[in-house]
Amino acid sequence: MLYQILAILEQAEEPLSLDELSRRLHVEPGALNEMIAFWVRKGRLRDSAVVGCGEKAGCSCNANPQGCPFRHNGPRLITLCD
Amino acid sequence: MTTIAMPNIPFRYPAPIEREIEQLATLFAQTPALTDYPARWLAIQALEGDEALLAEIEAGGDSRVKAALAASLERLRAVYGDEIDIVMVDQRYRFVHDIAIRAVTRPATPPATLSDRIDRIVTHRWLGIPIFLVVMWLVFKLTTDVAAPFVDWLDRVLSGPVSRWVSGLLHLVGAGGGWFEALLIDGVLAGVGGVLAFVPVLLTLYFALALLEDSGYMARAAFVMDRVMRLFGLHGKSFLPMIVGFGCSVPAIYATRTLDSRRDRILTGLLVPFMSCSARLPVYVLITMIFFPQYAGHVIFALYLIGIATAVGVGALLRGLLFRQQPATPFVLELPPYRLPAPGNIWRQMWERTSAFVRKAGTIILTASIVVWLLLAIPVGGEGQFANTPVEQSAFAGLARATTPVFAPLGFGNWESSGALVTGLIAKEVVVGTLTQVYTGGEAAADDTAAMTLSEDLVLIVGDFGAAVGEALRALVGMVGFEIGAALEEPVTTGLAAAIQVGLATSSNGHGELAALAFLVFVLLYTPCVATLAASRHEFGLRWMLVSLVGQFVIAWLAALLVFQGGLALGIRLPL
Repeated sequence: MLYQILAILEQAEEPLSLDELSRRLHVEPGALNEMIAFWVRKGRLRDSAVVGCGEKAGCSCNANPQGCPFRHNGPRLITLCD
Repeated sequence: MTTIAMPNIPFRYPAPIEREIEQLATLFAQTPALTDYPARWLAIQALEGDEALLAEIEAGGDSRVKAALAASLERLRAVYGDEIDIVMVDQRYRFVHDIAIRAVTRPATPPATLSDRIDRIVTHRWLGIPIFLVVMWLVFKLTTDVAAPFVDWLDRVLSGPVSRWVSGLLHLVGAGGGWFEALLIDGVLAGVGGVLAFVPVLLTLYFALALLEDSGYMARAAFVMDRVMRLFGLHGKSFLPMIVGFGCSVPAIYATRTLDSRRDRILTGLLVPFMSCSARLPVYVLITMIFFPQYAGHVIFALYLIGIATAVGVGALLRGLLFRQQPATPFVLELPPYRLPAPGNIWRQMWERTSAFVRKAGTIILTASIVVWLLLAIPVGGEGQFANTPVEQSAFAGLARATTPVFAPLGFGNWESSGALVTGLIAKEVVVGTLTQVYTGGEAAADDTAAMTLSEDLVLIVGDFGAAVGEALRALVGMVGFEIGAALEEPVTTGLAAAIQVGLATSSNGHGELAALAFLVFVLLYTPCVATLAASRHEFGLRWMLVSLVGQFVIAWLAALLVFQGGLALGIRLPL
């Protein structure tokens, strides 16, 4: 199951939505999220929701101590790590 | 009481793993220090690398146990070629999945949600891009047509009543008539006020962007744009930081951190500043409302498209030249369900972003305006005195003239435009502030209604605001195809507009509109502001920051040259 996620990503010709991946694997989105979280912990996948701005990313500054107002809460992006 | 008999489905790992588990379990059961735990469970945990238990095994087990564990792991790695804990977790997921498949009855085709049905159209292979373009067009039509009456209103308020009140107040305290009044009115109010007048434009843009973000459409835009990006060998995921760049390039540069490889981050970081940030919008609105009032929305929309096209083109070129052998990797994108935007969220985003702009006006733009005013106040040559010299004999004019040969082939080689572009390196909005300062000079306070009382001013402000609301509403209705009342987009006829028109017409030998278009393209593409350059240096290093600085200037220069000289060669007269 876990390896199928990596295989689908490696073979995909275009971006997939999380729902599409869930349908292809016949797995509930909740379970899929757990599997993705596992791969992220193992360093095989990268999840923008986990990476975020990162430390010292400059998301906040003296003028905007609460964080940059232009920081975009973009969609969650999951990619294969090199 | 009913008893439900649960089927007994034993879970077994594949034979090679079971063999190792059994061997280790037998060994652990014979080791007195490890008998507190069930032997099979301990064996599984040890193979999966549970650090706490491994430490206990290390402490309690003898060398025989350690050697057996290492040998088991070695044998399993040879069989599976991967970390054993991954293999074991995978086996458990397979087991659970098999049970779920057998136990849970699902419809053959899951019922489509409303989001699914919308996505079939919005992310459609062929319809997705045209829909994205229409959405962008609506955003910029809204930004220009609906906000323009409020810009005019705010400009009239700042240059009329507010200037008069400041002047009156200074005279009241005995500080009127001197250089200090000139600094406040010609420097601060003309420079900062000239930029602040565009707050309605930015409020409208931020409203539209917040609407798109909160509704869930922005995620789809990246999904759709992936196909375009891939055509040019780029990553679709690079488009996400680029979308951030529509607001501001600085967070967009930092947003490249979500990309995997350093090469992708650098490449995207170099492309981000081509996406037209909101700071450039006041310049576009000012120039388009003067030169292309009837087509302002279309021209601004075209500028944004040119920005995207340039980013994609430059990206493809850079990938071919500098970043070869980097295959595009697919990605999974979580498309949030569509939802009605929450008014609270929309307001918060508008407020935060607009107040950041206003803060910037009170710091960077204020400082730049004062420096420009000082340079305009210092006479070089002529008979003028400090704060009382013709602008063309000022230090600013002298310095700006030194840069005019660079811009002359582009049609805007007059010192006013050249000087404004140079100050725009501090922040793009400063271009507007500087143009206002150099063109209005000492005339900012010279209003023909100088004799008005405070109450008359207030009546004028409220009345003008009502008229602006009416015009904006007519523009809004006009956007959906109904024309009500008088034509909305009439040429701007203020002193500033006339001065800019004359300036560009002179510098381009009578091809002011073509020069204005070249000027807009240059503003769109040229060297990013210092804050963006600093972010670029922070993220990618000095070398890539310099590439961005010089590269963008060259690209902007060539593009503006193409527009102006190409337009002249083809005999294009604007508006078409």
